[in-house]
Amino acid sequence: MLDPVQYIFIATIVFYLLDSIWEIGSIFNPQKFHKVLANYFIIIGLCLHSAFLIIVSIQSGNLPISTLFESATFYLFLIVLISVAIKFTYRIPSITPFLMPIITGFSIAAIALVGNSLTLTYELKRFWQFAHIIPIFLGYSAFTVSFILSIMYLTQERQLKKKAFGPLFDSLPSLGTLDALMWKTITLGFPLLTIGLASGTIWAKTSNILGDLWYLDSKVLLGTLTWLIYAALLHLRLGASFHGTKVAFVTVIGFVIVVFTFIGPFFMGSKHAYVESSPMLKKEMQLEEIPIEDIPVEEEPLKEEPEKDVGFSNITL
Amino acid sequence: MNLHAIGLNHKSAPVEIREKLAFSASSIPIALSSFTQSFSSSETVILSTCNRVEIYGTSPDDCLNKESLLDFFSAFHGLPKEKFSEHMYHYQNLDAVKHLFFVTSSLDSLVVGESQILSQVKEAYMTAASQEATGSILNQLFQRALSVAKDIHTKTNISKGKVSISSVAVEFAVKIFKDFSDKTVFIIGAGEMCELVLKHLVEQGTKTAIVANRNYDKAQALADEYQGKAINYDSLEDYLPQADIIISSTSAPHYVIHTEHIKNAIKMRRGNPMLLIDIAVPRDINPEIARIDNVYLYNIDDLQTVVNQNIDEREKEFTQCQIIIDKEVEKFMAWFEELKIGPAIAQLRNHFHKIGEDELERLRPKLENIAHEEWEHIVYSVQRTINKILHKPAKVGKEKAKNGGGYKYVETIKNLFGIHHHDENKR
Repeated sequence: MLDPVQYIFIATIVFYLLDSIWEIGSIFNPQKFHKVLANYFIIIGLCLHSAFLIIVSIQSGNLPISTLFESATFYLFLIVLISVAIKFTYRIPSITPFLMPIITGFSIAAIALVGNSLTLTYELKRFWQFAHIIPIFLGYSAFTVSFILSIMYLTQERQLKKKAFGPLFDSLPSLGTLDALMWKTITLGFPLLTIGLASGTIWAKTSNILGDLWYLDSKVLLGTLTWLIYAALLHLRLGASFHGTKVAFVTVIGFVIVVFTFIGPFFMGSKHAYVESSPMLKKEMQLEEIPIEDIPVEEEPLKEEPEKDVGFSNITL
Repeated sequence: MNLHAIGLNHKSAPVEIREKLAFSASSIPIALSSFTQSFSSSETVILSTCNRVEIYGTSPDDCLNKESLLDFFSAFHGLPKEKFSEHMYHYQNLDAVKHLFFVTSSLDSLVVGESQILSQVKEAYMTAASQEATGSILNQLFQRALSVAKDIHTKTNISKGKVSISSVAVEFAVKIFKDFSDKTVFIIGAGEMCELVLKHLVEQGTKTAIVANRNYDKAQALADEYQGKAINYDSLEDYLPQADIIISSTSAPHYVIHTEHIKNAIKMRRGNPMLLIDIAVPRDINPEIARIDNVYLYNIDDLQTVVNQNIDEREKEFTQCQIIIDKEVEKFMAWFEELKIGPAIAQLRNHFHKIGEDELERLRPKLENIAHEEWEHIVYSVQRTINKILHKPAKVGKEKAKNGGGYKYVETIKNLFGIHHHDENKR
């Protein structure tokens, strides 16, 4: 069941949904679906979303990333924040019609995770939290926004090439603008991902949290793959004549990997991911007898409810 | 008191007639004062653009009518009426208001939806207002016309979409490139259309232009005009990689730009996009080029198709605009009727009371011995009778005025009793 705080997130979804309807409606019938109203919806949604995350953080005394549900909402929040910033700074109102339906869908999907008792496997030390998790979350969010931008790019490119101009043609910005923003978000995300991965590597090495074969952890591998794809993209764009359409395509592929990295390891039983807090597992972990202080983790962090004294938490919501 | 609109436009008259009747900016103030002098206490606005010449006027008496207005044109321009009268249209009251709203909203324009006419109407009105040629009626009329036009432009799609070849070409450029200040335009051939596109692009911020033409002098002339560079036609290929936007309109019977040229160019440009616009017939640019990545090619038909679509889109909005206009015309007419009904009813009252007074005056000597008090009773009784008779018609008149048609109603009553405007005006 939902606890009262989670109703704030439900309210957030309602506003995101209204915004999605208005954003798309305004493309076809701007008189009926007024853009100003859409802006109000998204801003109210974003405020509720941040309120939700702040309350969750205060309650747990940690970043809102201790469960799969919390990290999903945190990640969605960062995406909306970055997109709204782009929308208003670069005056690209057409980003939200592309973004918000996806965000709304993901948010509704996130609700399904509420009852999920998956929590982070290890207690995280605060420093690593900031050095590892925050950069990676921000990086992933930036990549997600660049994915949205590449979808916009491909839509606009298609209209220009096929000479079939739909109702979106007017509201979409120029290819040049989209290309520049894709580049900006990728170059923002890449260093963040690099920092996150580097600090994660040091952490895994020094603390042995993922075992000796930490580099075979599925999340580590996928994270590295993501990094390689974006590194390749940067090289191709800077070195070879890689522009526009191709960059957009690679960005789409990169995003698929990002999503997979985010949720995939959970299905693959990575230690690094979120773990079902079953008594058995708990026991297993205890057998390892790692003292809390030493337990580090690599990518996902964990949260801590006061009563936890073992290395992995078994919080259920 | 009637509203009049008289004039001619691109539909009703050929340019030879329009230019003879046009008022230059400097002659409008003279025309305005000559109009207000010829028709005493009248109000007027003169609108003169390259597509239309119109005079809007109203006066409290009936001195304005088609003939007197035609005479005014004839006298001012020194042209016999017969030469132009068949091309003139003349509207009154509701039709005149409707016409002005249509014109201002650019539904009557050569290119429907172009917003230039809005500023022209505004200017015509400002000129007239500053000359004190307008009064409460035309002030109200023109302010409403301007606000209706703005409403129509924002609430409907009537002015959406570009409707000329050159502006559509520029629209594509705007949807491809982010910033024009570092972009280079390459003009091949130096036709009028090329120049028009170049002009629009310079307005967007383009700073560099290259011009190639078989005739070097022509290329030089166009390049000079836009601080560009004229190049030798034979070295055209060498300059292609520099060009972000290529506009070609040569009269060559074969392709001037081949697929290989652009493949090389795009390689040298490291994938930076190129926009090619081929306005030549037969075409200058091999259509195969459109398949190259990051290259966007449009020929004259593509541009024309977009223009036609946009015109169609605008015409679809016509009904929507008409609904808005009809509503606004109705509102204005209600205001106008109400404005007229007050004086008209007063006139009616005065007329009847005058009859009553005359009768009492005639009666008084015959009743020499009547007591003062009794006489007062008679006077009171007569006034009451008149007021009672007039109560219903006045009330209905005011009600009718609110819904339109009040003026006509009062006019009918006045005709019935033989009341004339002039009496009232003199008073």
